[in-house]
Amino acid sequence: MGKQDATPKSQDLARQSPTLAASPPVPPHKGEGGPLALLITEHGTRRLHALDAAARALGLYPGQKATDAAALVPELQTHDADPEGDAAALTALGDWCVRFSPAVALDGTDGLFLDITGVSHLWDGEAAMLEDLLARLARLAANGIRAQGAVADTAGAAWALARYGEGPVVIPSGGQSAHLAPLPVAALRLDAAATAQLPRLGLTRINRLLGLPRAQLTRRFGPLVVRRLDQALGHAEEALVYRRPPTPWFDRLAFAEPISQLDDLVRVAGDIAERLCERLRTEARGARRFTLTFHRLDGKAFPVSVGLSTLGRDARALTRLFAPKLETIDPGFGIEIVTLTADGVELVSAAQGQLDNSRAAMAEEGLTALVDRLSNRLGEAQVWRAEVFESHVPERAVRAVAPMTPAAATRWSPDRPRPLRLLAHPEAITAVAELPDEPPVAFTWRGRRHRVRLSEGPERIAEEWWRKPIDAVSTGLVRDYYRVEDDVGGRFWIFRAGLYGDPAVTVRWWLHGVFA
Amino acid sequence: MPASRLARLAAVKGQIAALEAGTRTPSTVLPFGDARVDDCLPGGGLPLGRWHELTGSGMETETGAATAGFAALLALPLTAQGAVVWILRRDDLYAPGLETLGFPARRLIQVRVRDETAALMALEDALGSAGVAAVAAEIEDVDLTAGRRLQLACEKHGATGFVIRRRPFGGASRKTATGSAASTRWRVSAAASDPPPGEPGLGPPRWTAALERCRGGRPGEWTFEWRQEADHGSHPLAVASGLAGDGVAAEDRVRLRA
Repeated sequence: MGKQDATPKSQDLARQSPTLAASPPVPPHKGEGGPLALLITEHGTRRLHALDAAARALGLYPGQKATDAAALVPELQTHDADPEGDAAALTALGDWCVRFSPAVALDGTDGLFLDITGVSHLWDGEAAMLEDLLARLARLAANGIRAQGAVADTAGAAWALARYGEGPVVIPSGGQSAHLAPLPVAALRLDAAATAQLPRLGLTRINRLLGLPRAQLTRRFGPLVVRRLDQALGHAEEALVYRRPPTPWFDRLAFAEPISQLDDLVRVAGDIAERLCERLRTEARGARRFTLTFHRLDGKAFPVSVGLSTLGRDARALTRLFAPKLETIDPGFGIEIVTLTADGVELVSAAQGQLDNSRAAMAEEGLTALVDRLSNRLGEAQVWRAEVFESHVPERAVRAVAPMTPAAATRWSPDRPRPLRLLAHPEAITAVAELPDEPPVAFTWRGRRHRVRLSEGPERIAEEWWRKPIDAVSTGLVRDYYRVEDDVGGRFWIFRAGLYGDPAVTVRWWLHGVFA
Repeated sequence: MPASRLARLAAVKGQIAALEAGTRTPSTVLPFGDARVDDCLPGGGLPLGRWHELTGSGMETETGAATAGFAALLALPLTAQGAVVWILRRDDLYAPGLETLGFPARRLIQVRVRDETAALMALEDALGSAGVAAVAAEIEDVDLTAGRRLQLACEKHGATGFVIRRRPFGGASRKTATGSAASTRWRVSAAASDPPPGEPGLGPPRWTAALERCRGGRPGEWTFEWRQEADHGSHPLAVASGLAGDGVAAEDRVRLRA
């Protein structure tokens, strides 16, 4: 296994005909025998979209007009194609493939790329892995999925061999050019124009392209040909869009007998966590998020994940966090495979290890565990610590940060008294003020009248005008805050919005908070 | 009296005190530093490793500001020993306001919960965690069973709980205060502040706090004032001078009400 080489090994799986896949649109009783085609309407014309092997053998081809095909082959059975359903089925199949590798990329409408770097040892080699994948696909769904696959250093080479090669093949590392040479140029994933043009010039096979001057090729057929060639041979990088980012921190457990008891699920969660955490420990690393996926016999996958506030690799703590979430798993006819991936893997700094025995470390650990329990049970946004946000507007002066992040040095200014309770929205009050620029002598809030005994202020806070379009800025957005105390000791934070003297602005009083 | 008898007497006294306090472990206390308050409390101070109940009155049941401020100041001396967790159902606690009272917001972890059950669960979990010095929770009602569970959680690592009885969206509590497993029960309301003569504005905040129920202690009522320049070691709550509650009368009043 080429773990040491930088290029990811990719496995490409090409499905022969997209519409005969995981969700077969054909009722089973019509499926036997005769040639079958799926139709699609393009610009008002019914055309063949996909064909089965029997129809292909009769000389029909995708893109042919349906009427022509019916004239040539009267016994042709036709059904409507369902491209959206196919795309959904391919996505579901991609999720199903996560049992083989966490990095799965969809390729067009009928292919999947799996990055199997660092994963194939779980199957004792790439050939066994490919065989297992194809065998499982053949058993999946009612009719099975007819699939072809190949393993190669590059995605391009794997694509070519899966679609144009003969049977499943595993190319040894660096052996792409020998295997690609006899294939037709269409195996290079070219655009339609180049695919049609190249054979007309006698360039039918890839080996003919290899010797040609690159500048000429680019000038005549555009940059795509040379780039695809380089990508297939491993001279150029190719970025695949994975359904989730690839991670080498992956483990799986497969069971001879499917499991369904909750106790068993918890136990296997512990077992697999133990394995992955052991790997993390030997490399002195920890992870921030673990995703445990249960793969059911019928191909459905149920992921559960836990997030940690600090780098973690303690299998027992992890199992405790997973355990309450496993009750939501519906095992159906049984779970056959469990996978675990770790994300946000980082080196655990040596300082953390040295503190292990001290009292401070115990307190830190207890707190971290509490935060993890609460945020996994209640949601990560529900557990936070308040931190300063540089803004004078009171409702924007606080931002929530994860509880275990180190505290920032900035503090709220102690010179400006702030209420202990800040209402989410200021509430309108009716206030009586003797003079326009003075605090009120009495106000009514929530139906209760408060006589102001003492007051303090104003503290003028202007709206952050730069956050609004220029014509929306007005003196109506200036707030004069007063601290007032009523005759029974209630202390409130009220403000007057707007300035007197501007005829365009109506001055209103609001209550924004309550002091302790 | 010979020394051995004295020692035996002290041991028996300790056992009786523990029985009166209703717990199995003798507890440490946090003195207010004022004999008028400390004499009413068992062991001469607010018992730590227990949970305490704070109720408001009148409009306080809606805003919960005075109770929260009082709880924050009771918990303030504990922030040196560990983190403080604040469990809320309604997210209106304003961290700059805590800092105004001198409470270090960086030691505070806030937890928002959906309902009463989740609040109690989070409270019990937090009280039983190492590294947590105090937990404040805004909860409608704690029944006897839940109260016993909280007490057991407190005893694990010696964390102190402050239950602020508050309905999350206003209105009076549906349940009236019944017998509970709380170590003390306080009724807190804001009191008129007394600014220094000649200075404009508000004085330091004051609270009228009635100790309505106290295991192994006596009830009382005092007016506390926030001690702004709390130097090292002194409690941030001081009994307001000249307004100290006349302990006996308050006691009688509480008895009459009960």
